[in-house]
Amino acid sequence: MSMMHAPQLGKAPSTAHVMRWVIAATLPGLAVMTLYFGLGILSNVLIAALWAVAAEALVLRLRHRPIWPTLNDSSALLTGVLLGASLPPASPWWLIGVGVIAAVVVAKQLYGGLGHNPFNPAMVGYALLLVSFPTHMTLWAPPQSLWPDSLWPQIMGTLTTSALDGLSGATPLDAFKHKGDAVLASEFWASSPLPDGTLNAWRNIALAWLAGGVVLIAKRLISWHIPVAMLGSMMLLSALFYANDTSHFGSPLFHLVTGATLFGAFFIATDPVSAATSRQGKLLYGAGIGVLVILIRNLGGYPDAVAFAVLLMNLCVPLLDIVSVPRPVGQATARPDERKSAP
Amino acid sequence: MPAYEFPGGIYPPERKERSNQAPLRTAPLPKVVMLPLSQHTGKAALPCVNVGDAVKTGTLVARRDGMVSANVHASISGTVIEITDSVIIIQGDGEDRWATLPPLDWRTAERDTLLQRLDDSGLIGLGGAGFPTYIKAQVNEHHAIDTLVVNAAECEPYITADDLTLRHYAADVLEGAQLLARLCGATHIIVGVEDNKPEAIQALQALLTVIANSEPLASVTLKIIETRYPSGGERQLIKKLLNREVPSGGLPADIGVLCHNPGTLLAALQAVRDGLPLVARVVTLTGDAITQPGNYWVRVGTSVDALLAQVGVDDEQLHQVVVGGPMMGTPLTSLEAPVTKTTNCLIAATKEELPPAPAEAPCIRCGACESVCPAQLLPQQLHWYARAENDAALEAHHLFDCIECGACSYVCPSAIPLVQDYRSSKQRIRHKRIETAKAEHAKHRFEFRQARLVREEAEKKARRQARLAQQQSASSDATGTQTAPVADLRSLRIAQTAAKAAVRKAEKVLARAAAQDPQQRHDDLETQLATAQENLKAAEARLADARAASEQKEAP
Repeated sequence: MSMMHAPQLGKAPSTAHVMRWVIAATLPGLAVMTLYFGLGILSNVLIAALWAVAAEALVLRLRHRPIWPTLNDSSALLTGVLLGASLPPASPWWLIGVGVIAAVVVAKQLYGGLGHNPFNPAMVGYALLLVSFPTHMTLWAPPQSLWPDSLWPQIMGTLTTSALDGLSGATPLDAFKHKGDAVLASEFWASSPLPDGTLNAWRNIALAWLAGGVVLIAKRLISWHIPVAMLGSMMLLSALFYANDTSHFGSPLFHLVTGATLFGAFFIATDPVSAATSRQGKLLYGAGIGVLVILIRNLGGYPDAVAFAVLLMNLCVPLLDIVSVPRPVGQATARPDERKSAP
Repeated sequence: MPAYEFPGGIYPPERKERSNQAPLRTAPLPKVVMLPLSQHTGKAALPCVNVGDAVKTGTLVARRDGMVSANVHASISGTVIEITDSVIIIQGDGEDRWATLPPLDWRTAERDTLLQRLDDSGLIGLGGAGFPTYIKAQVNEHHAIDTLVVNAAECEPYITADDLTLRHYAADVLEGAQLLARLCGATHIIVGVEDNKPEAIQALQALLTVIANSEPLASVTLKIIETRYPSGGERQLIKKLLNREVPSGGLPADIGVLCHNPGTLLAALQAVRDGLPLVARVVTLTGDAITQPGNYWVRVGTSVDALLAQVGVDDEQLHQVVVGGPMMGTPLTSLEAPVTKTTNCLIAATKEELPPAPAEAPCIRCGACESVCPAQLLPQQLHWYARAENDAALEAHHLFDCIECGACSYVCPSAIPLVQDYRSSKQRIRHKRIETAKAEHAKHRFEFRQARLVREEAEKKARRQARLAQQQSASSDATGTQTAPVADLRSLRIAQTAAKAAVRKAEKVLARAAAQDPQQRHDDLETQLATAQENLKAAEARLADARAASEQKEAP
């Protein structure tokens, strides 16, 4: 018998091809973010990408694995880009490095590399930074010029804390979260809590991520199941909260266009390695993320929650993969037949 | 009639236009043929000619061995020049003198005569599995069959043999379907054909009205289905046409269906009507390295090398020759291999059209494999278990429900040879089963020996009894005393009926196992069948003995 395997007719897009397309699909989102928040966004992405490729290469070398073929699959690059895109504008290089090392080295390579990581690497890095460096991670400047004044010192991390505070603003989610129970939503919005154009900026960024996500679905590089289930459950649950108490909970639309909702739905939650595999499992997985995001945003201590929601659902994936087994054709039930065992 | 859906499936490039443009031609007569003794499911046939024997086209050269096996006939006239363990080689005389069987009329001939003819003609399924047709035609002895499905979906890329067969022989194929429907008791025939064969569909449609007016034995329906691989898989097609699901580990017969390939039906009709044994078949010769692609009538046993040379092949461009389709076929390691009864297609491919698989990358759990699996399995879980050789988990996740269609491998972005893994896992598990079965087998051989001894004893006793009775009747009519005790006739008759039932059951088990597991030999089941037959003979001998004794007692 020949070593060639069936089918001889192989034309599927390769893993590297898929990764590169996902990277390309982040471009609209990154471009619009840069437009509103300045070159600090691009510096994040570039620094994170460099860190990611360097960290991956180093670990591959230590593990005595071929370096080039693995780097060529672009998965580390994608992790870097996604983590970079999640960080506040012009984050210092060392902060990005810590996050990327947590993502690529700890969350991915220590588990065995591509395909073996139970958690979404970019979100592991992000969550680690969020709990370890809360001051840096909540420094979202208000919309600003393309080339902000202190871009370079910020990136180099040489800016004093007081100077940093002067630069920072609040994201809409942050501001709304900390409005206080005594303030009604109507009063809050009437007091113009955010600099002009902040909400518009976030909405347009969300739409740009949506555009990238639609391209990925149209090109069949990701399936629609996770984004649709996640956004659907978010809308449904936030509508229930909102219907119950319009004065303290954000509207479904507010949840949809602020924070990392659309970026998370199309680019983070759809990471195939750490998501459920079957179609039904993907629906459950996406819906679970949506529910957790709204619960944490509305009832928990963090203004946004995509990273935690994704990581918590990553934990559930082995279970989801068991409960969402489809019924094989010709079998009475979907359950694996445990009675069968090789003699 | 609406078509139903089967899950999954893919849309690979069809590349059928390369071979379906030219009309059906006849390949030149080969000078030498190499006839494998095992072209079918089951035991290899046993040679029944000697080196140096002169044979005609159609002369029986190897007889089927055991129930699940098939005859092999000379496919050219000439001289037997070599017989090995696995092949018979015949040097042709270039005259092509035929030895045919007497023609039969399938409408009027006895059922047993027709079955015998299918058996004699060495007929097997030409679609690929190569299951002996005469056994399949008898399946209604155990299962009620209502529908005969003509599987003309031909979903694999490149292959157009069924398409061309239908264009040229639509009437014969449908008559062959009537013949097999008569044998298996089906009252309905459904022809399932993919919508990418307009000319074959036209030929069939033109016939349907004629047939409907002629009061056929079985009504005929044509169902045109969407072109989607693997709609030609038996289970997928049945689901699509009839919305019936073949149970896991079961056969279409379990749900009242038999599937036949158009080529098989044509061959069946030719065997019965024209008395032609199965010595030639339609083969698609295609691929970019072939200068005259198309479909050819090819004599069984023609070497691939010679065949390709005859239709013109560009040796510079030729990268590999694949037998069968590009999805499920296997590349040939040697071009000296012969065309067999189950060779439906030869693809002489260039490197560009069927490139070598790229290097395997890690699985990224994307789930693409799962969404295309027509059996609704979890290809990716199976992949992990297969690599870990976790056989218990493989079986629990229904590895043996995998039809090896290759859809999962086709869509895998990491180029993991999934089907390859499943095949070798199946082989490993089968091997394990065989090991455990060996002990069982030894037991069954012992039982067979015991049964044979008992039968011989019973027959001996019967002979002795008969002799004794003769002597008695000759010498002492007056005494009239019966020395031998007359056994209870009734209980012996019951024993004989039980033994008959046991034989039938053993036959059924064997036929079913062979159909399910075409790659395997079923020696153990054959032994069990033989044991049951021995027991039956013994019971019959005892019964005959007792009857003779009681008659003798009553006679005076």
